[in-house]
Amino acid sequence: MFSRNLRNICRRYSQNVTFRTVEASPAQQNDNQIGLFYTMDKNLSKKLFGQGGLPKSYMKQTKTFTETSLMVRQPALDVIECIKSSDLNQPAIRYVLYGEMGTGKTLTLAHLIHYAHDDGFLIVHVPGVSQWLWKVPRLKEMSNSQTREGFVDLPLDAAAWLLHFKSQNQVLLKNEDLKISKEYVWSKRETTPAGAPLADLVEQGIARVKYACDVIDALVYEIKQLSNNNKCKTFVAVDGYNCFFYPRTRLSTPTKKVVMSEEVSLTTSFMEITKNDWKNGVIVVTVEDISVPRDHQESYLPRYLLYKKGFEHLDPFVPVKVDRYSEKEFLTCASYYRDRLWLRGPEQLESELKLASACNPYKFMELCAPL
Amino acid sequence: MSHVIKTSLKQITPITRYFYSCGKNPNLHNIRFYSNKVTTAHDDIYKNFTDWETLNKKKKISKPMRAYLERAKEHDEFMKKQQFEYNIGKRHLANMMGEDPETFTQKDVDRAIEYLFPSGIYDPAARPLMKPPEEVFPARKAAEFDEAGRPHHFLFYTGKPNFFKLLYDAAENIQLLQQFEDKVIRKKATPDPNGKLDLNATLWLTKDQLEQLLVEKLNDLEYDNFKLVMERLASLPYSYRIKDFIEKYRKSLSSQKFALEIPKPSYDDQGRAFVTTYECLRKKARGNVTIHSPGTGLITINGKDLTYFEDTQSREQVIFPLIFTGLEHKVDVECNIEGGGPSGQAGAIRWGIAWGLRSFVDKSMLEAMQVAGLLTRDHRRRERKKPGQPGARKKPTWKRR
Repeated sequence: MFSRNLRNICRRYSQNVTFRTVEASPAQQNDNQIGLFYTMDKNLSKKLFGQGGLPKSYMKQTKTFTETSLMVRQPALDVIECIKSSDLNQPAIRYVLYGEMGTGKTLTLAHLIHYAHDDGFLIVHVPGVSQWLWKVPRLKEMSNSQTREGFVDLPLDAAAWLLHFKSQNQVLLKNEDLKISKEYVWSKRETTPAGAPLADLVEQGIARVKYACDVIDALVYEIKQLSNNNKCKTFVAVDGYNCFFYPRTRLSTPTKKVVMSEEVSLTTSFMEITKNDWKNGVIVVTVEDISVPRDHQESYLPRYLLYKKGFEHLDPFVPVKVDRYSEKEFLTCASYYRDRLWLRGPEQLESELKLASACNPYKFMELCAPL
Repeated sequence: MSHVIKTSLKQITPITRYFYSCGKNPNLHNIRFYSNKVTTAHDDIYKNFTDWETLNKKKKISKPMRAYLERAKEHDEFMKKQQFEYNIGKRHLANMMGEDPETFTQKDVDRAIEYLFPSGIYDPAARPLMKPPEEVFPARKAAEFDEAGRPHHFLFYTGKPNFFKLLYDAAENIQLLQQFEDKVIRKKATPDPNGKLDLNATLWLTKDQLEQLLVEKLNDLEYDNFKLVMERLASLPYSYRIKDFIEKYRKSLSSQKFALEIPKPSYDDQGRAFVTTYECLRKKARGNVTIHSPGTGLITINGKDLTYFEDTQSREQVIFPLIFTGLEHKVDVECNIEGGGPSGQAGAIRWGIAWGLRSFVDKSMLEAMQVAGLLTRDHRRRERKKPGQPGARKKPTWKRR
């Protein structure tokens, strides 16, 4: 028993191996660490991704491995390098992560969010657009918008997102500098005065779910104002961004009319924040084929997934391709799995797995699970 | 002859015999026990008997003989009839096929039958056939005793004379080889290393095959004894001296027919060897596979890589021959495939890769591939749905009322 514990401890803290790096801060990582795993602090990962943000299967795996390890990969490093070297006083630059299913777009985004958190950005992170518009339960709580004619609100989703926003920006929201610029009147009795801290606005949305969508609208406006005034710098991350541009949604009004994606008030809010008419911001979005229905999954390229409308909306953007594992990345991943006792068996197993998974990270993870 | 004298001496003193066999292996004792009677009934001795019994009875036919003669006559007539029918049938067939009946051989008959009665039945034994009657009807033993009812064979009363004769011969050969070994040791010579018997490529006859050869029914114990004695015989250092005897009871493991037909690889303009296999098929899938020899393990299926197949099983099917031969990083594979579904396409590619890899592997690997079933084509097709039931074989749920 003791020896097993000792072995486990040795394994857990065996930082001195070829597949790990001790450099846990994404800002400090460089090309030498490509393909190596770094372990995120437990509290931090709970804070950043406790409300979503990591894929479900990966969350399961982190629970099994008792640690949140991310691989340092080229696309993430490239984007970090770009963010570092770009001038934030220029209009916000938009990065679009794209790639095949299961290559790690969402995890690259998680890596970038970690970087943004360490670098003091205000994080506006949407973990899954498709959960709002497409992969929805049959009876979704929705209501017609009070303030805007012909729009549909998703109050529960909006409130959940505000909670996520709050937990991701716990530290920054305590900052007294972040004040709202104008007064918001929600109802006869409820108002948020000008000059109140931004946290109040968020709290209002969480407490009064009915107004959550309007709060998000206001929040987006205020964040843009604050960024423009150099009060804060903002990192916008949207996972499955192309879902906003797929014409239909699976929502339907009580009269059985199918809701179009542009009729959802959340869509307009996040379209607003992904425009580049503001500064002091970084916008990273991912486009993925699995967040839209089967009939529109023929290609993973941004132009196809975003349609003409979305492509023109984002137009000057930096496309970043997330590719499958390279030879080295595959080997480190395999040795990481071996270290976690997730993968066992002879050495020849790896070459077979490599061929069978075609170096696709998700497929590799799936294949290793029953081994 | 000396052997005969020795054993007959033993018979005179039964106690020595007992002691003699006691110290040996109990199984060998079995064999000796089977064969100890035979030595007295050697052919020479047999001829020396005065056949006064027969003489007395003046060639009176015994009861079993009469019964046998009746049966034999019946069988002969039956076979004659069958033979006649076969010959007639063959002539008809030859006329039907527009060939000369005189030169129409069994091979032509088989071909004609296959042409006239095409059958998709998977098991070849169940397909229509036309064979000479001696192949179709099992051989029967000829009379084992003369007209006086006296058996010809010295082991007749064991009930299975051919089988026990085999064991007897084997035991005798063991003794002879041991004597020879003693002689060699006395001369201080060493056994010839080249003369070693190679039994890797062959197997002992199975029980059914042995039964067919001996025309006698055997039980499991007897078959085990046969294997035991033959193993022992084959393990002796000078067993190559009786190679013919041993090989009569062995069957080759795999046929070597692939050795002749393997195509030589062609060379493209970059000097790379390549082999193309056409007509790779399984289920409804059809395609061709090209293998380029110095490669890096690149697999191209209809212009895509292995992600052409989404499910793991199909991918495993495709890479299996490469992994089996250990060439997964040494060759490039290019496939064009169409028709059917993923599993059919994967199976067709698997066969195509294995078939093409024959040109790049050595002989032992070829045999291993053959044993692994990589070179066997899967001719199974989808079975049609039958009317009155929900599927090909599935019956409606049984309900009493």
